Amino acid sequence: MSVTHLPNIHYANLLSASSTPLVGSDVSWLVSLRERAATEFAEAGFPAPRDEEWRYTNITAIEKSQFTLAEKAGEIDQALLDEVLLEGCHHMVFVDGFYQSAYSSLSGLPDDVTVLPLSETLSASEEQQDLFKALMDSVVEEPAQGFINFNTALFTDGALICIAENTAIEKPIQLAFISSKDGALKLSNCRNLIIAMTSSKATVFETYTGYDDSCYLTNVVTEVVVEPNANLSHTRLQAESLKAYHIGGVYSRLEDNAIFQQSNYVFGAVLSRAEVHANLGVAADCTLDGLYIGQDQQHMDSHTRLNHSQPHAVSNEFYKGVMADSSRGVFQGRIIVAEDAQKTDAKMNNRNLLLSERAEVDTKPQLEIYADDVKCAHGVTVGQLDDEAIFYLRSRGADEQMAKNMLTFAFANEMVERISFEPLRMKVLDELLKRFPQHDMKKEWL
Amino acid sequence: MLKIEDLHVSVDGKEILRGINLDINAGEVHAIMGPNGSGKSTLSYILAGRAGYEITKGRVLFHGKDLLEMSVEERAWAGVFLAFQYPVEVPGVSNIYMLKAALNGIRKYNNLSELDAMDFIGLVKGKMKDLDMDEKFLYRAVNEGFSGGEKKRNEILQMSVLEPTLCVLDETDSGLDIDALKVVSEGVNRLRDPSRAFVLVTHYQRLLDYITPDFVHVLAHGQIVKSGGAELALELEKRGYSWVEDKIAS
Repeated sequence: MSVTHLPNIHYANLLSASSTPLVGSDVSWLVSLRERAATEFAEAGFPAPRDEEWRYTNITAIEKSQFTLAEKAGEIDQALLDEVLLEGCHHMVFVDGFYQSAYSSLSGLPDDVTVLPLSETLSASEEQQDLFKALMDSVVEEPAQGFINFNTALFTDGALICIAENTAIEKPIQLAFISSKDGALKLSNCRNLIIAMTSSKATVFETYTGYDDSCYLTNVVTEVVVEPNANLSHTRLQAESLKAYHIGGVYSRLEDNAIFQQSNYVFGAVLSRAEVHANLGVAADCTLDGLYIGQDQQHMDSHTRLNHSQPHAVSNEFYKGVMADSSRGVFQGRIIVAEDAQKTDAKMNNRNLLLSERAEVDTKPQLEIYADDVKCAHGVTVGQLDDEAIFYLRSRGADEQMAKNMLTFAFANEMVERISFEPLRMKVLDELLKRFPQHDMKKEWL
Repeated sequence: MLKIEDLHVSVDGKEILRGINLDINAGEVHAIMGPNGSGKSTLSYILAGRAGYEITKGRVLFHGKDLLEMSVEERAWAGVFLAFQYPVEVPGVSNIYMLKAALNGIRKYNNLSELDAMDFIGLVKGKMKDLDMDEKFLYRAVNEGFSGGEKKRNEILQMSVLEPTLCVLDETDSGLDIDALKVVSEGVNRLRDPSRAFVLVTHYQRLLDYITPDFVHVLAHGQIVKSGGAELALELEKRGYSWVEDKIAS
């Protein structure tokens, strides 16, 4: 049961008195869904630190900042767009929570693949409308935490992606979420619905960016269904402005023999939380990777939950964190193995590197095992750079800072190297190298 | 080149080196031999600048400069190189990356421009061939998963690429089979040069069969108790360290 506190009046008021256009304001099933979520939010508000799941992450600053919904997309530069959009992908661009067809490119997709903004879905085919209805709010657990309810009540847009049976899409689909120049003190609330139907294969990226020094809130929810024998790879790159707030979640259902590979790369935002929840069907295979790199006062929370409710499923989770300055990392990884989930094979690993005495990591692996014939392993480390290795590198002629940078980079790069799609890997590498601005970390050496 | 004067060093209050005096000139090869616990490795680490040692007395001059005042990397830039007894594994940092960072650090200090990637690769690959090393080592993480012999070879590779003027080799022969010992020794001999000096720290005579020293010093109980030419090493091999230790005792 989640513990909550009284809703902030500002956000509760947004629910009833927003002039922002919402998707499907005349569609009864959606209106009633939104009303229900709004009622729950009005009662419970955003999560409070009293809630065990939010113990380490205090969102008071979000409440105090009183972000408001943008009424339309603001302006962005071509330069930013060029930086954000990855080569070799289909693109859907959302600015301040609204789909921008002018910046998007979806040509060349197979006919039986649906990639639509939600704002256009209700005027699309009946089949696509049904899909929207079937997927919407179908994966998130009840009772939903406050940010999800808030998202349900007020989402302005988002992507609907459906990969038809036996279809493989060659090029990844990038959903690029950008906060505009006018995005300050705005909140964007997108909802994404992704389904990989039986035996299909696809790769989806979500990237989050804003203008430097801009303070805004991104509150995004992605629901994912991976049907039997389908293979979905999903990566989030959170590179928001360092003054922004980001609350995002990926809630997924893996059906029998489904393969889901989910990765999170977290660099931006002053306060962020990434939730990844997965429910695993029989013999499903789930990989969760994560990297969070904090500096200054950044607070980064990674929250994962794996529900092994069926037998023979495999999960592999590996999260790494590097916290510098006064930053704080949080990792809460929970694996629940139900009584029927015999032959489960679950591994969870969280490794953290603290670069300063003021940096902090709270890591909390939780294994709840109700079956008796399972393999579950978890490992957690919080450490510092190896003095012997620093001495060795310095004795070869790397100055002390360079030696530390090399070791830090190497620690983090292990996760970057797991990205198989090169343009994304290079992009994430750029984000990582930005953390070593004053020193010679050269890409061509790597 | 290197002048060690009355050097006293303690670790956790215990005196390990008790008044070392040593003069090493360019072009010379000095072997420092001694039994376990004599302070050989401490001396190597002191020269390289490892933390955790308290220098209670004496000084070390390198080209007339106070070596002990220099940071670890400054010593490397100035031309000091320690081939480690136990080379450190550095996960995630490739050999080539480390070598390039090291070489460019040294070149920068000496007001030389950075080597471009092509020249650098060419240089390193040539040296690897000399040491009978597979090029794939370049892209592997430094010493990670290397065998004992591979690690030692890698130390000599770094030394060949960085071209220091003072090379300190700490127990380089340990972990090497006879073939590897020959290859490594040839690598060292190729680097012998009138402008360069070597300090070979070793327990056994074995390495000195292949690298002939100009001087041999016996270190015992933190002091140099005997110095001589290459023949001293052979005598030690025959008669054991107790011979020297007994002589001191008497």
